Amino acid sequence: MPAFFRRRFRWKNGEVIVDLPEDERDMLQHVLPQLRSLVIGETDPALRRLSPPARPDDDEAETFYRQMVTDELLRSRLDAIDVVEDGIGGTTLNDEGVTAWMHSLNALRLVLGERLDVDVIGHDALHDLDPSDERAPVMALYEWLGWLLEQLVDAAMNALPDGDD
Amino acid sequence: MARRASPDSRTGASVTAPISTPEVDVEDGLAIDKPWKVIVWDDPINLMSYVTFVFRKVFGYSEAKAQRLMMEVHVEGRSVVSSGAREKAELDVFRLHEHGLWATLEQDT
Repeated sequence: MPAFFRRRFRWKNGEVIVDLPEDERDMLQHVLPQLRSLVIGETDPALRRLSPPARPDDDEAETFYRQMVTDELLRSRLDAIDVVEDGIGGTTLNDEGVTAWMHSLNALRLVLGERLDVDVIGHDALHDLDPSDERAPVMALYEWLGWLLEQLVDAAMNALPDGDD
Repeated sequence: MARRASPDSRTGASVTAPISTPEVDVEDGLAIDKPWKVIVWDDPINLMSYVTFVFRKVFGYSEAKAQRLMMEVHVEGRSVVSSGAREKAELDVFRLHEHGLWATLEQDT
């Protein structure tokens, strides 16, 4: 089957298999460094989606919480990006890889969703964008990332324990 | 919180503790120990399947429970997904933020 039609992530013999066509790997290698710069920059408004307030009711407690977690959250995001980039040509994902891919794909979606004002405009209106609209390619990228993430969730779910009710 | 009647050690009779200043102190002490709730809020970007996955992974919930909480977030706009001591609640919020979910914590009132 041509690469284009295959699932990008699937569960097989107890492992998550990655099967990304080369142009899709290239696309990720193009956008991940941008995510890294944005995360390091700490000023982009889209970051409020990646680090929302934990204590919106209490400014003092929020400042305290920030001081406690900011570095660790930053480290975690950068590590995740590194893991995805280093393993971009790989064919299987271990637990660390699954987590890193999920965090990075989702972080990209959150940033793009914020750029697109998804919460204001809504998905339906964004689906109807004219192809000449400057947001149309961003929307296409956002949709593609969602499609990848959905498949990764579907595959990785098999590795989760049954859990408690 | 109502105080339980306790047997009097000398007479063996049941007495009810007086409701006075000490009671207020007890209430203050208890307020510190009230559990903290971790709340996840609805947002239009995170995928429903992903949110369910995160609840299962972070909290070890069954698929049914994770699904129910996710739907509560989606329909009601928010859901209390865990509760406990402050440190645990803060760690839960951190892990949810790491996964890109919109989570906050607040103390039970």
